[in-house]
Amino acid sequence: MKSILKSKEMSIALIIVMLSIVLSFISPVFFTFENITDILKGNAVLGILAIGMTLVIITGGIDVSVAAVTTAVIVILGKILVFLPDSPISIVLMFIIAPLIGVILGALNGMLVSKIQIPAIVVTLGTMSMINGIILYITNGQYLNSTSFPKIFVKFANFEIFGISILIILFALISIGAWYLLKYTVIGREVLAIGGNKESSIRAGINFDKVQIFVYGFMGLLAGVAAIAQLSYTKAVDPNGLLGFEMQVIAAVVLGGANIMGGRGTIIGTFLGVLLLGIMQNGLILAHIDVFWQKVVVGAIILLAVTFDQIQYKRSKDKLAKIEVEA
Amino acid sequence: MKKLLGAILSVVLMVGLLAGCVSSNSGTTSKANGSENADKSGKLKIAVVPKLIGIPYFNASEKGAVQAGKDLGVDVIYTGPTEADAAQQVKVIEDLISQKVDVIAVAPNDQAALTPVLKKAKDAGIKVMDWDTPADQSVVDLSVHQIDDEAYGRHITKSLVEQMGTEKGEIAILTGGLSAANLNSWIDGAKKELEENYPGLKLVSDKIATDEKQPVAYQKTLDLIKSYPDLKGIMAFSTIAPLGAAQAIQEKGLQDKIAIIGANLPKDSIPFLEDGALDLAILWEPDKLGYLTVALAKDLAEGKMPQDGQEVKNVGKIEVWEDGKTVIMGPPTDFTKENAGNYDF
Repeated sequence: MKSILKSKEMSIALIIVMLSIVLSFISPVFFTFENITDILKGNAVLGILAIGMTLVIITGGIDVSVAAVTTAVIVILGKILVFLPDSPISIVLMFIIAPLIGVILGALNGMLVSKIQIPAIVVTLGTMSMINGIILYITNGQYLNSTSFPKIFVKFANFEIFGISILIILFALISIGAWYLLKYTVIGREVLAIGGNKESSIRAGINFDKVQIFVYGFMGLLAGVAAIAQLSYTKAVDPNGLLGFEMQVIAAVVLGGANIMGGRGTIIGTFLGVLLLGIMQNGLILAHIDVFWQKVVVGAIILLAVTFDQIQYKRSKDKLAKIEVEA
Repeated sequence: MKKLLGAILSVVLMVGLLAGCVSSNSGTTSKANGSENADKSGKLKIAVVPKLIGIPYFNASEKGAVQAGKDLGVDVIYTGPTEADAAQQVKVIEDLISQKVDVIAVAPNDQAALTPVLKKAKDAGIKVMDWDTPADQSVVDLSVHQIDDEAYGRHITKSLVEQMGTEKGEIAILTGGLSAANLNSWIDGAKKELEENYPGLKLVSDKIATDEKQPVAYQKTLDLIKSYPDLKGIMAFSTIAPLGAAQAIQEKGLQDKIAIIGANLPKDSIPFLEDGALDLAILWEPDKLGYLTVALAKDLAEGKMPQDGQEVKNVGKIEVWEDGKTVIMGPPTDFTKENAGNYDF
């Protein structure tokens, strides 16, 4: 019990609970089923990308090309959807094509990072710029609305189970899948091992290159799924819609307790980080806070959450050191 | 390993080469066919520089400018940077100065950054004017504005009241970004109209920023609807914000309860206009603006200044301010579900 209370997820969960209590007092609509599902639906894309980013950050890497990769898949999907027939096969095709393109682009990042050993931030900055340039050339910045998409796609985008949007279900499935992957599969344990101590895990026989290609490929896969989610959410192709989104993704992961230098990070933490960002954005309008103050409040809450988490982490580390001395 | 490196290096170089071709192609297509036979025919050379090339708005104004060039028998060079960057724009203008064009009309990305190069153009005997966005007024001979900012803001407020069918209730303002100067001056105009003529309308909050992104506008509108259940109208400034707002209204089925007026282009808005989620899109016609710019540039090169109330062919009556060089193209155009299909921007 004590270990749960002290865990790093706990601090951020606490902040979320406190924030929610305050918001429910201020605005009666905050704690309604409709509003909660709106928050989750609105942040499904952020969440899916943040899950992938968590794995990358655990291994000590970073991928700033996520928004560009997602946009690239959205643009390609938009072009293909126009030609697809109005039948369920189109949806199946979409779920094959989008992740596939994502994996290819992600694995390309992974290859460059692992085989040529260029720092991840340089590689992904480069691919981001290239992809953005190609997107601009192909689309000319042209916005494309859903009138030309098959009807089945709009139906899919509006699909709900017990009032819960397909986007939330997608997000949940991916969270659970990634959690299982990290906890119970060999490759997942290898990712954590590399994050914990790179040198010793390589000596223990873990193939570092393979793990790196895997995490960037996995990131690409999720970027493909996120593209489907984003396309369903806006029901339009907006080539500039995700510009700069990578910063929010990274912010959510770091807010969730991951260490940007690698080694620390959990799926549950990231999930909570996404939730906190979402609740903040949602709550600020509901709480009738003035626009200019909203940014100040967002910054203050982020600092509070991270400080709280860091203090907890340091304390637990100090204790660990003591035990070692005593022994 | 070395082989692999070599292969990758060559691929990168190839891509770089191709990318180079692509960007210089798109940047100079209009330039090339413009300047080819200019020297032989002795035609006037008019350069029109947008903030950037490759977005729907400036593509449409290019069409108008090129059409004007054909109609009026002048060579039009429509060229600009690939991103809205002042430094790149300076380079483009330097290039135009050495090409010895007769007139340069520019939509500056940054007023101050362009002043030195525009002065240089002036010293080289080139007439300088601005269009779409004002430049430093001390260096330009002519300043072409699409609309009167304040009148535009007021028009949007009036249209919203008309669509709401009441002069009482709560309304909200969405904007593309808090720091966009043109959006801010429109919003100031809209607010002035509210204060002076519609005391019954209450703004529920200060303008809400949507980062020029549809999903953000969508989410913020959902939040607005929830926190202000009596909301009657939304003014959405920027070309993207109205789309997100209309999407929220459409999904919640509030078409008849909440009126939206957007400052956006007709083609993107068609599905929302038809559905009634977006009641009206109000903007000017960018192709007309391009046409007017070239027409006035030609007059300027021939030593003629525009007159208030002057009729410009294919554009309409223009308004000239007292300083004699600020031109207003005319009132904005209302795009409705009936006429939106007629435009291709």
